[in-house]
Amino acid sequence: MRTSADCVIIGGGVVGTAIAYYLAKRGMTDCVIVEADYLSSGATGRCGGGIRQQWSTEANTRLAIESVRLFAGLEDELDADIEFLQGGYLVLAYTEEDEEQFKKNVELQRGLGLDVQILSPADINEKVVPELNVEGVRMATYCAQDASANPFLTTQAYADAARRLGVSIELFTPVTKILTERGRVAGVETARGTIRAPLVVNAAGSHSVPIAATAGIDLPITPYRREILVTEPLERFFHPMIISFSFGIYFRQVKHGAVIGGYGDPAEPPGFNETSSLKFLRTMSWKLSHLMPRLNNVKVVRQWAGLYDMTPDAQPILGELDELPGFFQANGFSGHGFMICPKVAVLLAQAITGEEPDLDIERLSARRFTDGRITQDRSVV
Amino acid sequence: MRIREHPILEFERGREVEFDFDGRRLCGHEGETIAAALHASGVRVLRKSIRHGRPRGFFCAIGRCSSCLMTVDGVPNVMTCVTPLRRGMKVETQTGKGTLAAEAKGAGSIAGDGSGSDLGTVPLAIVGAGPAGLSAAVYAGRLGVESVVVDENEVPGGQLIKQTHMFFGSLEHYARVRGVDIGTQLCRELEKCPSKLLTGTTVLGLYTDDPPWKTLSLMKNGVRGELRARTVVLATGASENMLAFENCDLPGVYGAGAVQTLMNVYGVAPGERVLMVGAGNIGLIVGYQLLQAAVDVAAVIDAMDEIGGYHVHAAKIRRMGVPILTSHTILSAGGTDRVERATISRVDSDWQPVEGTERTIDVDTICLAVGLTPNCELASMAGCDDEYVPELGGLVSAHDADLETSVPGVFIAGDASGIEEASTAMLEGRLAGLAAVERLEVEVDREKLLAMKEEAASGLSELRAGPFGDRPRLGKERMLALAASRGGDR
Ligand SMILES: Cc1cc2nc3c(=O)[nH]c(=O)nc-3n(C[C@H](O)[C@H](O)[C@H](O)COP(=O)(O)OP(=O)(O)OC[C@H]3O[C@@H](n4cnc5c(N)ncnc54)[C@H](O)[C@@H]3O)c2cc1C
Ligand SMILES: Cc1cc2nc3c(=O)[nH]c(=O)nc-3n(C[C@H](O)[C@H](O)[C@H](O)COP(=O)(O)OP(=O)(O)OC[C@H]3O[C@@H](n4cnc5c(N)ncnc54)[C@H](O)[C@@H]3O)c2cc1C
Repeated sequence: MRTSADCVIIGGGVVGTAIAYYLAKRGMTDCVIVEADYLSSGATGRCGGGIRQQWSTEANTRLAIESVRLFAGLEDELDADIEFLQGGYLVLAYTEEDEEQFKKNVELQRGLGLDVQILSPADINEKVVPELNVEGVRMATYCAQDASANPFLTTQAYADAARRLGVSIELFTPVTKILTERGRVAGVETARGTIRAPLVVNAAGSHSVPIAATAGIDLPITPYRREILVTEPLERFFHPMIISFSFGIYFRQVKHGAVIGGYGDPAEPPGFNETSSLKFLRTMSWKLSHLMPRLNNVKVVRQWAGLYDMTPDAQPILGELDELPGFFQANGFSGHGFMICPKVAVLLAQAITGEEPDLDIERLSARRFTDGRITQDRSVV
Repeated sequence: MRIREHPILEFERGREVEFDFDGRRLCGHEGETIAAALHASGVRVLRKSIRHGRPRGFFCAIGRCSSCLMTVDGVPNVMTCVTPLRRGMKVETQTGKGTLAAEAKGAGSIAGDGSGSDLGTVPLAIVGAGPAGLSAAVYAGRLGVESVVVDENEVPGGQLIKQTHMFFGSLEHYARVRGVDIGTQLCRELEKCPSKLLTGTTVLGLYTDDPPWKTLSLMKNGVRGELRARTVVLATGASENMLAFENCDLPGVYGAGAVQTLMNVYGVAPGERVLMVGAGNIGLIVGYQLLQAAVDVAAVIDAMDEIGGYHVHAAKIRRMGVPILTSHTILSAGGTDRVERATISRVDSDWQPVEGTERTIDVDTICLAVGLTPNCELASMAGCDDEYVPELGGLVSAHDADLETSVPGVFIAGDASGIEEASTAMLEGRLAGLAAVERLEVEVDREKLLAMKEEAASGLSELRAGPFGDRPRLGKERMLALAASRGGDR
């Protein structure tokens, strides 16, 4: 293992590997990714792979639109299959509040150039998913350009491309301490030795908190278990990711044919628990078979859990910390880090290499929690 | 391809029934598996692989590997190697991923949570009715402790139900008894115990998020149930290893256990001429059983430079004219939609094929007896730590001398805790069952309990002191050291 680098990136999830790639692409090739386990072993390898542009704030919608643009070119750029598919997102409204919020969202989204449709329950069956049970559904919004991709393949593709440009990747190497010197970051201590570096990126998901704590920094991130399951593979019978914030569900059919999906239990206590529960399996099967009667007798082949790294406003923490120059954060993705990863990683690479970021990321710096500039997005599952 | 005459076995076949296979009328016997009935009618290709459309037959025949998935009565992805045949079934070769029938109404609703039927609570639940699981129930039962034993097969006994050979003198009272009969004896003892046996029931999941209860999610005939237990013994056995070589997925490449199942349980010959890969005990024994069923064995090959199994077994098949080729490996299988030939070659001391020594032999079946891997999925789902111990077969749940895993009250025994043999599986099951009773803190004769545990533990040391016990003994020692080094985190 090397003992020094221009930049150390902690975490081999989609965010860490993407940042490494965009840094190397900008010429900063002397980077090391340090991963405690294996690539995609964290939230990335456990996620649903959904890529949605329908958000309720302008900033998030822009970030998502730009990310989809990058995703769409990624297979060519990285020379790898990532199973990118623009199957759309169908967002179901069950309550009056949903309905009101969605109408506002659509106005905002259309203003940013997104092609979003408002569908009646009959439209849903006629135009998008004939078999969906629309009982209780008041309306839905649908954006055909929303997408999905395979998180394992995406992470591997970023990692391989980064490696080709000279980045090294150290697996099974947990970072144990952030090193500081004269008020600046100076590198990391790992279970396999020390790497000195003037720049360190903390992209360790929920584990970013204990890592930052070794430098006396308190990140406002709370881990929550989120469960998910996957069924036997079936011939394709629907295209979009189907989600509802009020009914509490998201599911899609992946390229291989399996249906993958989950929901967030509002009663889930915070913590690093990643075990599976029977309650989830029962409730999720119930919800799935309600919405898609064809799935009444589907075989579930696996269930698992991962962590959402929640911040108070469900927005990521991005950029350099005032209290420790050279120490960058890319964490707190609050359950939607995969979909915005490409653009976020570009913006961070720009910030790290001293370029002017081409979208505002200052609003997502840790500073917002101290100076009270928090805006809540209402479109979080 | 049905075996009509057999020197030791009499096949009790169910009544003859007709079924439909891709529009053809075929006959089979009720109770045998769909895959066995098809094989008896000469059908080897059960599906086409999803990605490349390659023909696939079964491999494991115990519901583990998913190579045998077919569409049955309109339901896709049915494991035909474990699904019993019924009159009038409509069986189709599955060419794609499969399609579920559209249904008018969902089983779920906006409210509600899809609970399975409540099967109540029990002090001890045991997964697997092989020699390990049955022994656990019998010994806990002798102390008056109630248990429920769950096994996915209709017939209890685990791997024993296909073992027609006489066991070696490893355990005083079972020496010279055939494996099949040991299973029957254990079941008879179980009948005297306060134990309930649930057959044809699969344990889908094990949840430990409601301590001290462990919840088993069960499925029988498509109906789900939930059983809560204070302690659990996982005696789930092992799965057969695959070997990578060209065309290793051709129908006709079968695991040794699968060949045994087909031949000894259902009385169906796997083929006419077999290449056996692996000269350990399993390869040698199954090779001999093939000869008993009047199937020709072209050769037994092994990459090691010496025979791994007992020499008596080797001598028996050599006497019948079967060559045992050590320092040999298989390079490829040939044939369009089924095995027609195999190419083998010598290997050097680094196990690399020696060029110029290739040889092609005509066989219609390639039987792989190249080791087993413990089934520890349920344990890992329950949150048990695992360790990689090659001597025990790979990743195994970490366990202590009482076979307790890192999750208190969850025990693991038999092949699932490290690949050995039936006699050690029985003793481990016994020990785990007794240790579970100790964990339960119920009122039992403590002195008797400890004496019984001691007896089981010393029985295990004795067996592992034998010439073939080296590997597992080393493995178990390593496991205990590893588990101890994790510290007393219980
Ligand atoms: C069930 C579930 C479903 C989801 N569905 C979606 C979805 O559909 N769409 C979407 O956009 N997002 C989804 N998400 C969120 C998404 O998965 C994450 O936001 C995203 O993967 C974050 O990536 P990451 O690289 O920041 O974190 P991670 O993938 O968690 O990567 C962090 C890495 O850091 C490593 N690490 C931890 N500690 C250390 C250490 N001390 N030293 C070195 N390395 C360390 C970890 O091993 C890990 O590999 C979902 C999440 C879950 C749990
Ligand atoms: C060809 C061959 C020859 C052998 N010869 C000998 C010999 O001569 N002497 C000897 O001592 N040993 C011999 N053995 C080894 C012996 O058969 C095994 O070591 C022994 O059967 C292991 O017992 P077990 O109870 O651990 O597992 P198994 O016998 O494999 O039983 C496990 C049971 O658990 C069930 N199960 C697994 N998962 C689930 C689930 N989720 N839900 C419900 N049920 C489940 C399985 O279906 C199975 O019935 C031989 C093995 C083979 C394959």
